[in-house]
Amino acid sequence: MKNIDPRRARWMKFRMGVLCGLLSTGLCSIVASAYNIQVKHGAEWRMIAERQRQKRLKVLPTRGSILDRNGEALAITIDVPSIAINAAELVRNVPEKQQPALQDAAAAKLATALNLPFPEVQAKLKSKRRFAWLKRRLSQDEITAVRAMIDPRKPDAVKGVMIEGEGHRFYPGREALWGLVGYVSGDGSGIDGVERAFDEDLRGRPDEISALRDRKGTVLFGDGLEDERALAGDDVHLTVDLGLQFQVQEDLEAGLRAFEAKSGSAIVIDPNTGEILAMASAPVYNPNDYGDAPIEARRNHAIADRVEPGSTMKIFTIAAALAEGKIKPTEEIYCENGSWTIGGVTIHDTHHEGMLAPASIISKSSNICAAKIGLLLGEQGLYSAFKRFGFGETTGLGLPGEAAGVLRARGRPWYEVEVASASFGQGISVTTLQLGMAMSAIANGGKLMEPRLVRTVTGATGQLVREELPTVRREVVPAFAARMVTEMMTGVVEEGGTGREAHIPGYRVAGKTATAQKADPATGKYDPDKFVASFVGFVPAQKPRFVIAVVVDEPWIAHLGGQVAAPIFRRIAMRALARFGVAPSGEVAKTAVTFPLEDPTPLVYAEAKAMAPDVDLTGPGGSVVAPMTAPSAFAPLPASSPSALPGAQRVIVPDLGGMGARDAAHALVSIGLLPVFDGTGSVTRQEPAPGTLLLQGSAVRVRLSPGS
Amino acid sequence: MNSAASSTGANGATGATGSLRKPSLRERAERLLSVAGPVDPILAAVVVTLVSFGIVMVYSASAIEATVQHKDAQYFLKRQVPFGFVGLGLAWLISRIDYRRYQKASATYGILAIVVVLLVAAIAGFGKTGGGATRWLALGPVHVQPAELAKLSIVIWLAYSLAKKGEDVMKSFALGFLPQLIMALFLMALCLKQPDFGSAVVLLLLTFTMMFIAGAKVGYIMGAAIIGSAAGAALVRFREYRWERIQAWLEMEAHRQDLAYQPFQARMSFGSGEIFGLGLGKGLQILYLPEAHTDFVSAVVGEELGFVGIALLCAAYVTLVVRGVRAAFKAPDDFGTYLAFGISTLFALQVLINLAMAMSLLPTKGLALPFMSYGGSSLLVNAIAAGILLNVSRHARDAEPVADPNATPDPPGVEISKDALA
Repeated sequence: MKNIDPRRARWMKFRMGVLCGLLSTGLCSIVASAYNIQVKHGAEWRMIAERQRQKRLKVLPTRGSILDRNGEALAITIDVPSIAINAAELVRNVPEKQQPALQDAAAAKLATALNLPFPEVQAKLKSKRRFAWLKRRLSQDEITAVRAMIDPRKPDAVKGVMIEGEGHRFYPGREALWGLVGYVSGDGSGIDGVERAFDEDLRGRPDEISALRDRKGTVLFGDGLEDERALAGDDVHLTVDLGLQFQVQEDLEAGLRAFEAKSGSAIVIDPNTGEILAMASAPVYNPNDYGDAPIEARRNHAIADRVEPGSTMKIFTIAAALAEGKIKPTEEIYCENGSWTIGGVTIHDTHHEGMLAPASIISKSSNICAAKIGLLLGEQGLYSAFKRFGFGETTGLGLPGEAAGVLRARGRPWYEVEVASASFGQGISVTTLQLGMAMSAIANGGKLMEPRLVRTVTGATGQLVREELPTVRREVVPAFAARMVTEMMTGVVEEGGTGREAHIPGYRVAGKTATAQKADPATGKYDPDKFVASFVGFVPAQKPRFVIAVVVDEPWIAHLGGQVAAPIFRRIAMRALARFGVAPSGEVAKTAVTFPLEDPTPLVYAEAKAMAPDVDLTGPGGSVVAPMTAPSAFAPLPASSPSALPGAQRVIVPDLGGMGARDAAHALVSIGLLPVFDGTGSVTRQEPAPGTLLLQGSAVRVRLSPGS
Repeated sequence: MNSAASSTGANGATGATGSLRKPSLRERAERLLSVAGPVDPILAAVVVTLVSFGIVMVYSASAIEATVQHKDAQYFLKRQVPFGFVGLGLAWLISRIDYRRYQKASATYGILAIVVVLLVAAIAGFGKTGGGATRWLALGPVHVQPAELAKLSIVIWLAYSLAKKGEDVMKSFALGFLPQLIMALFLMALCLKQPDFGSAVVLLLLTFTMMFIAGAKVGYIMGAAIIGSAAGAALVRFREYRWERIQAWLEMEAHRQDLAYQPFQARMSFGSGEIFGLGLGKGLQILYLPEAHTDFVSAVVGEELGFVGIALLCAAYVTLVVRGVRAAFKAPDDFGTYLAFGISTLFALQVLINLAMAMSLLPTKGLALPFMSYGGSSLLVNAIAAGILLNVSRHARDAEPVADPNATPDPPGVEISKDALA
């Protein structure tokens, strides 16, 4: 400003100073704002930013599959495409005036392609949100239409449309695997069954990701992240054989229906490795509602139910006594002719016997002799023997909800009478799985195995992550004792034994029936009408391949283990033998199998009829005689359930209250139901209740009492 | 220092001979590039620093977007580096051209005419659409943003026009106020048509600023500012989409997913940096912040270098503006003063508005951060402006000894004055 006169120069400097002052004010507010955002509230903003990143970083890796021992899928995750829109991206770089028209056009196209109402789509596009779902789980047609619409090569391609794969869990064969496989919650974590037990393996490793995702959710950098399999969960290969599982489930359900039982479970175990080949639980509900079903409905009865085992425990009592040398295999014990009082309690036997050797004690299932053997072992001896067989503790299966069972129900050592009753399986509770594992110890020569549900865990690319090897928990009894008991158990399914129904021609079967009365939890007394029928055994007896435990809770039509559980055992065993190709040992039974008429049930008839329709069923001696022309194991087995009767329909059970026996019988028979009477007089109680839907051919139990 | 003095002498000699015979091309080039004195080294250093730092930050801010969009993390870096070199070269070249050469009607109106043609061409549909507005004009490989050029051209034109008018003329409404306002409104209208609201505001503020220092009546300026504000408010209020933007800006939290997404993300970027920042290249908000490498590059600076980084960046711009104003103070004539002050204000306004928008003190309307933001046009135009400013600074010492003895003399000034005494 050399050439300017000083007064004007001062004026200009003043004016420039004023402007500089204004600019400084602006600068101050900027710096103050920066201080406010960065220093004063920096931590808060950083947290918001981190939360945003966390949200985006949380990649849900594809959940691993659950496969059976042959690689059949039991639970798989399939990416089902869903479609979302970035409404801001849609109109990016479009002059604001043209935006509404573009939005409307895009909304119309999307609404048509996705079969959505136009106003709904329009509202989402106008919202300018960066993420809004348009439709989840698209059909193939819809996805094709959308793909064509957003093809970037087309000039009128709709921008901002995102197709995302969302993993949905599918359970092929859910009915057969009720309770075993479990399910996953909406956020992808395992809730029940194997899904929960092996959640760690299945869920994948979202926290190992070092990748970053941008605002569109695209994975940016990361080590080897081109392959999403690096994050995916591992596949769990179960020991279960899906085919066998289906059959076991079917047989169990048929059995439950035939005997009108409340619930039941069946397990097939390979005794040499402890592998669970099948684990069925019934009843099952609608598998589509599995996740929504009440806890009670989802119950895996094979591991969660504690039941009184009854006579099967005699096997373990006698095995322990043999191992300890308390009894000799040939030593005969006096069975008190069916009634023995100890500690003020009288024990009864169904068969009134005098002297019995251990083999007969097992085959005749004498409670009195078992109690005497138990007392020989003593409280401590019997308790520790049961404990060693794995009762009173969880088996190590690892599935959620497994019960441990109770040996000393009162939390103190048993009194003498309790020792006696525990010897034949009363006053203690066990699970089906425990029975199966303990029986496996007998079958494999005395080793208690850990149940093995998982063979291997493999990564998504097929590499072996983990192999679960057979684990011996402990030596329970010496091999000789196990072998001896096995031999004794073969008598159970032979003529004169309680489990003849479990006989399989061509194979030697070792097993034990049990019929336990159920205690009413309210009174603590045994309910005369409620039983647990079970059969635990293995086949072939000389070289056991399958241990099968069948427990049926509250069968109504019949209640003996030999009647209810043994046939189910036989069917399952035949399926397993056929499926795994176990050759018969050549000892084909020539003897006729007799079906006792102690508690004749229409269903036993029905079954016998179906098996041998051309044979006169009323043979000499009041027994139903069927020559053992059992069908080949490969042929389809006739179902034992009434539902298999041709043309059976569902009918409503009439109210029989107050009717006489004749009227009641007429009322039931006329609509195709079978009356089972108890007592004399007029009807005071009926089961099932009036109004229940029953399949024709089902039995209705009617109690009659003399009129008041 | 001596060489500088001798070159001045040589310059004078060639000038003398040039008047006698027709100068050769080489002589004309030499004369064109002859300089009056050394540039302000601090000013030059700040410009070089800002351009270099800008390239670093553009790379840091754009690497991910470049990878996603172009499969090349250096995509934007590779384009910004040449512009940086060309810009600095241009600044050096222009700093050697005597600013008084622009003080001609032909030069200033010529530039204005080019700018108007470019603006009209951009609006008329030859432009490239980017960021929701037609701002770009493809001239071969170079994308020109005429609005950037418009800001510099109006500064030059105003400096010329205002210097031509005396103080008395400036007091009159018809001559000292109206013509400048009309020119500014004309350019603004062209900018708004694109639409480029930010540039239009900068144009208006520049015009007011320069008229104010040239001595226009404060009343006129205030009146025009009030009318302008009212018109702007009406423009915003009665256009639904603009009003929505304002509401979103006022209630950022509620609109963080839609209209206020960008400013909200920018705040998160600034805040994440806290005091010292996450470290260069370690910012993560670039994943979410749109336009991180262009208009919001300061947010990336805030995240990666923290409050300290922002404070240093502000300090650099303050230095730039202060040295520019100093050049204006010391310029030998009105034109130089207006030019230097206008350019300094141009820098200051763009920086302030950009930072204020990035920190959501103002609603978001695209405006580049001088020297820092990605984009050739902005960088080149600002480099040219810096070149002119540097040239004005070369003439500073001419004014120094006599006119203002109170001013703090800087080292070269002191030496020169010794020379003068000797």
